[in-house]
Amino acid sequence: MPLVAAFLVPGSPLHYLRPDVSAWAPLAAAFRTAATALRAARPEVLIVYSTQWIAVLDELWQTRPVVRGLHVDENWYAFGDLPFELRIDTVLAEACIAATPSIGVRSRGVNYDGFPIDTGTIVANGFLNEDNAASLVIAANNVYHDWARTEALGALAAAQAELLGRRFALVGVGGLSGTLFRHEIDPADDHIASSEDDALNQSFLATLTQGDGAALRAACGPYAAKARADMGMKHLAFVLGGLGPHYSGATTLGYGPSYGSGAAVVQFTV
Amino acid sequence: MAKGEIIAGFLAPHPPHLVYGENPPQNEPRSRGGWEPLRWAYERARRSIERLKPDVLLVHSPHWVTQLGHHFLGVPHLRGKSVDPIFPNLFRYNFELNVDVALAEACCEEARASGLVAKMMQNPNFRVDYGTITTLHMIRPQWDIPVVGISANNSPYYLEMNEGLGEMALLGEATRRAIEKSGRRAVLLASNTLCHWHFHEEPAIPEDMSQEHPQSYEGYQWDMRIIELLRQGKTSEVFKLLPQFIQEAFAEVKSGAFTWMFSAMGYPEIPGELHGYGTVIGTGNAVMEWDLTRAS
Repeated sequence: MPLVAAFLVPGSPLHYLRPDVSAWAPLAAAFRTAATALRAARPEVLIVYSTQWIAVLDELWQTRPVVRGLHVDENWYAFGDLPFELRIDTVLAEACIAATPSIGVRSRGVNYDGFPIDTGTIVANGFLNEDNAASLVIAANNVYHDWARTEALGALAAAQAELLGRRFALVGVGGLSGTLFRHEIDPADDHIASSEDDALNQSFLATLTQGDGAALRAACGPYAAKARADMGMKHLAFVLGGLGPHYSGATTLGYGPSYGSGAAVVQFTV
Repeated sequence: MAKGEIIAGFLAPHPPHLVYGENPPQNEPRSRGGWEPLRWAYERARRSIERLKPDVLLVHSPHWVTQLGHHFLGVPHLRGKSVDPIFPNLFRYNFELNVDVALAEACCEEARASGLVAKMMQNPNFRVDYGTITTLHMIRPQWDIPVVGISANNSPYYLEMNEGLGEMALLGEATRRAIEKSGRRAVLLASNTLCHWHFHEEPAIPEDMSQEHPQSYEGYQWDMRIIELLRQGKTSEVFKLLPQFIQEAFAEVKSGAFTWMFSAMGYPEIPGELHGYGTVIGTGNAVMEWDLTRAS
């Protein structure tokens, strides 16, 4: 089976830049567990969908063979810089671009020096693929795509990877509950912003891990609305689309706060 | 030290298409023009800046979105390449700018004194957003006037809109107090589009103006209504209508720059000068000026 692994991971730079902070250390450790599992699965390519790469016209796919630079997050710049170098599977990316009209989506490749790679993609690659053993396909989050269209995009990307015979992993990058603290906190004291959000997250993760696709899809909308979930959990939609009939459950490797919002590292059963 | 003052405010929208259409040497992509009426509007605004001779330009940009408070550029000299994540085919701009850090710090302190969360951005590797750069390039392409760059806190979207815009009004008052104490002659730039309904696909030739028109007739009507009120100096009426305008025209002024600027200027009931209006991928953009030196 070409699909060898799938994960849902947070895109906040806080756990990556400051794993020494006690409140953020457990998620950093969960990322390392995920990285070990991913390495063992030996994917050739990671198909990444990050809620933080926003598109409004067309669906965008990174097509520059090597993308490198120094990124500074527009919110969390004080915690440090994010140097990055990504290898892109341009053949698979171009195949996805060529195929999306079949699902009613117009796509474009992005191949520009200095293009601002989003924080979430850099963090995910930095944690999971530190040695760049796998190349990447990166798809943007078009804000006008709904859950169904995003799921279709994930399915399309997985199908194209299968057609090309790639061993691939799916990585959805985004958060859970979306309420951030709006005042300065001591990072060591970080916690989920409210007990209600915490309960919603825990309940949602329980549903996610059980492997009932219908129940999960039914839970997503209400959860996203009540918890102000990151982009309506479209990063999950992309991964579920890519998993298709292979979705049978998952394991939460770590759960915790990201300045009040919810974050989890989830490994799907593949 | 003489008391500082806000000498003018401009509604100065930031579609990167305008830079692309102008073909300045800093921008990598080349065009065959396009969006001329809006670019000519900015030419008139540039002449006003030349006449006003401000010490500093302050710009509030909706494309530096911050979640934890209101942020100010706090590095004396910033340079780099700013690539628009939405329109990378049109905007890959090599920028270099000088920041009036002293005034930025004063604005930040005044904002804190008003009860707002405010922060100084002091990372020298920070990439300035394309909204800030486009507005500044279009209003003063010489880049010879120091700037204060202000982020758009997401409060109007995250909180109830009126609560969020209330924060922007406080930020404007804080900005005015800081300018007055600084002795600077300052120009404010509200980097906002009006109606923000836009097309979802780009023409094969982006500058093909046969494809350019308002995306929404209702949005266009809203823009004309707001502009006409601003031209008549009916500021209070505009602000009464603002929530409905934002709701029905998906207006980008929701992000706060417009409210910040008018609050800083004290909501003057003076006619704004329309330098020009035009659409960019269907959105409504007006370049307007409020010259407070003529009003006083």
